[in-house]
Amino acid sequence: MNQLSRGFLRFTAALAVAAFALLPSVLLAQNSSKTDQWIHVRVENKENGGETVRVNVPIDMAVKVLPAIKHDNLHDGKVRMNCAHLNDVDLRAMLDAVRTARDGEYVTVQSNENDVRVAKNAGYLYIHVTDKNHRKSTDNKDAAAKPVHESKVEVKVPMKVVDALFSSGKDELDIVAALRALSSNGDTELVSVKDSENTVRVWIDSKNVTD
Amino acid sequence: MLFLAKAALGVGATLALTAGYLFHEGVIRVDVDENRAGGSHVHFWIPATAVSGGLRVVPRHYIQQAAEQSRPYLPVLREVAKELEKYPNAELVDVQGNDQHVRVSVRSGKVYIDAVDKENNVHVSLPTETISDVADRLEDATPGI
Repeated sequence: MNQLSRGFLRFTAALAVAAFALLPSVLLAQNSSKTDQWIHVRVENKENGGETVRVNVPIDMAVKVLPAIKHDNLHDGKVRMNCAHLNDVDLRAMLDAVRTARDGEYVTVQSNENDVRVAKNAGYLYIHVTDKNHRKSTDNKDAAAKPVHESKVEVKVPMKVVDALFSSGKDELDIVAALRALSSNGDTELVSVKDSENTVRVWIDSKNVTD
Repeated sequence: MLFLAKAALGVGATLALTAGYLFHEGVIRVDVDENRAGGSHVHFWIPATAVSGGLRVVPRHYIQQAAEQSRPYLPVLREVAKELEKYPNAELVDVQGNDQHVRVSVRSGKVYIDAVDKENNVHVSLPTETISDVADRLEDATPGI
């Protein structure tokens, strides 16, 4: 084998070693850019000239910045609740029960004023509330009550996010842990509120701008 | 003649180097326009290096005073600045209302704050690196944060 072909072989071998050494880091970089999740909030007000607020925050940024904020009940990325027994309801025990229970519809309330539905399905907790704000017609006393302002609240939270939220101390909500769980969950529509005046939407995806 | 050419080359090279150094961190731009009769119009550009460098020559007690006042916000400022550098292009906040528009975005590593309404036009842009520098300098002045 002459010197030229030996040199070529050495060069090729060095190139192959370098390629294998760099491959994991390239793959890692691709993965990290894919998992860059953003939390989006959009509030549209139909009154007063139609104000629209759009907020887009990278979840990674929120995870890093939140622990630095110390204000009122927010410390180290955790919100301290004054009392876990809210109105004599043990929130933690209730969520424990929901977590361990099978998929299904847990609460269904249908009344003239509200419809409430709480369900668990495929690892998601669904809370749907429809508030029917009736206004009786003053002109015609016989007229039936007609829903004038109906507001719909739809919340869809992955159960692992709920778990992460309640993963810290007894009377604390771990927001940072919940955000971390959210970022690993992929694109999700979290909250949707619709009424005659406002539309609120909170969702997560990998885009850095609102639709 | 040759001497003059050499001198001109020296001065030109020095100016180019100085300008290159001054603007290597980018530019802070502030534009304020009041849309009314007699309203003020303020437009200025400052090399970001001037702010970073200026903070190093300001007497220490002034920096300490500023750091003490901004102490509760310094950790947040530092983290935000550090994180913003990772997102060179992003629209963070956009508020559109009745003849009002407020926008906070990051483009090409610069933070842009635009606030426009009927009476005022305010546009501010500054490199994210400058925010980091300011936070670091203030933090150095108040150890223990």
